[in-house]
Amino acid sequence: MQIPHEVIPRRDTGLYNAKIGIWIFLASEVMLFGGLFSAYAFLRLGVQTGVDNPWPWGLSVHKNFVWLGAINTLVLIASSVGVVFAWVAVKERNWKRYQRYMYFVVACALTFMAIKSVEYYSKLVKHHGIKLVDNSVMEGTIIDRSDRIEFQGDKISFSLQGALPWVFKDFTSGEFPLLTVESGPAELVGDKIASAAAFKAWHSSGRAMVMQKLVDERRRYRAERDAGATPKPVSVSSSVTLVAAAPFKVNADFRRLVMHNATTLNYRDGVKVEGKLVTDAVRFQVHEVDMQLVLPTKQRSSVVWDVIGSAEAKQHFFDKQSEKYAELKEYYDKRGGIIPDKQLRGRFLNVQYVHVPIDEKSGAENKSAQHDAVHTSDMLLTAGGGDSEGHVGPSKTILVPRDKIKFMSNHGPRYGNYYGIYFTITALHGLHVIFGAVVLLFFTIFGKKMFLENPDHLANRVEVGGLFWHFVDLVWIFLFPLMYLL
Amino acid sequence: MSDAHFDAAKTKKSFFAVGIALFVFTVVTVVVGLVPMFDIGAPGPDAADVILGLGIAGTKASLVALVFMHLNHEKGAIYKLLFFTTIMFACLMVATIFAEMDPIQEQFDTLSTTSGVVSEVR
Repeated sequence: MQIPHEVIPRRDTGLYNAKIGIWIFLASEVMLFGGLFSAYAFLRLGVQTGVDNPWPWGLSVHKNFVWLGAINTLVLIASSVGVVFAWVAVKERNWKRYQRYMYFVVACALTFMAIKSVEYYSKLVKHHGIKLVDNSVMEGTIIDRSDRIEFQGDKISFSLQGALPWVFKDFTSGEFPLLTVESGPAELVGDKIASAAAFKAWHSSGRAMVMQKLVDERRRYRAERDAGATPKPVSVSSSVTLVAAAPFKVNADFRRLVMHNATTLNYRDGVKVEGKLVTDAVRFQVHEVDMQLVLPTKQRSSVVWDVIGSAEAKQHFFDKQSEKYAELKEYYDKRGGIIPDKQLRGRFLNVQYVHVPIDEKSGAENKSAQHDAVHTSDMLLTAGGGDSEGHVGPSKTILVPRDKIKFMSNHGPRYGNYYGIYFTITALHGLHVIFGAVVLLFFTIFGKKMFLENPDHLANRVEVGGLFWHFVDLVWIFLFPLMYLL
Repeated sequence: MSDAHFDAAKTKKSFFAVGIALFVFTVVTVVVGLVPMFDIGAPGPDAADVILGLGIAGTKASLVALVFMHLNHEKGAIYKLLFFTTIMFACLMVATIFAEMDPIQEQFDTLSTTSGVVSEVR
């Protein structure tokens, strides 16, 4: 059966079916993204200067990626032009040209997503922030996953009623230590375990044995009770202690720990590891210091300067701050006003690029110098965001004591509201790019039959797919300045 | 799109011109964002920069909507549909004014120099 108005428009509305359909869909999309943009505005306007987590400056969040964001904008615009030209090509009955334009559009979509993933990778893997106990924040990079606690264990205790202990996932060295069961249920004492696979098998059979004992005990309890006697309480010993022949290394994820000290790691799954703490400090490459949450009068005595341990870096921070203060003063003096509190506590004055020089003597200790040199090159294009003039080259890796850290994270959604809304909107937009590209690719590969039978039908399809594509472009046009520049 | 008066050459020309305009506006956005000389308003990002940035973005978006999405010569039914969308969208944006309406915080803001103390107490 022929569906009416697939190609020929209705006489009353002047529209064919798909066109009215796509516009209703786009209207709902406007509301979807509108809601998210509204959430963005609420989150941004709701920040109380000096109280809440400050809203970062897009420019200084993205650094080099401002250029990538700009390139992505151009890529999407080019793809939008490509779609309309493909549509014209169908109207002109030129299949070859139509296909070329459509492949160009899909290539643009792939380029966009590739650039996006580079950017996501950088945020999630390469950039971190550490908030110290006095709310000063250091932006930079945690080196070699040193956010984990390095520990040397020789004894592990846990209950066989639990699942496989997490600690075994935190072992660093490839070789598994030779473990001997020191105490626990009599059947298990003396067992030797030499590999991860053997441990898994041992754990599972030990657990089954303990569970069976529990079942037996409960049966015994019920039988005694039913016989009218006062039953002895159910009791099954399931805790075991394993000792290692040689100390083993553990890199513990602090999120999985209840507590740790110089001799013990206490995991959230109830496992206790005894031994000795190797290092508790986080190795960190600092790029920027953010003092927005520290009162101006307390900035010079902030704990961040003890942690960074470089008088030169501190001096540079405050020199830059005074320079910027003079700039602000000049601006407001000209207008006959005083500098507003929002500015005094804001990022213009309180976030500065910081370079920690490597002193000659300890240069050899700086294992990550190569990595750092690559990383600091990111800072070259920060114009206006952070301030990197004259500071090229590796920054010294500093050790941040864990007891000075209030919070640390990558630049993922949990790092702050900006990152939360950034990932929400850009990921949703990315999904639109992917699905749009899939639909357009479908029209390109499988459109020939329709092109030969009824080219106007294909033209309508391309027009409708194109309308969606333009909408995706339109959202990005707003996202780019909001997320990358402002 | 009715085929009877479809002028391919003219259409292509206008699409191309809009494409170029969009490229130029993007470059303008980046330059305005990156070069300190074009930082309007107070130093650093502020309301003036947001208005400028969104102004350019709005112009670009209008070009895409009007020319690429044919909204400059569309059928009435679509304008009727978009009329309601626009109202709803405007409501969402106007709602953000509530973020600036807080009579209690205003009292703190009017007492100059207290905000530092306030933040410390919190």
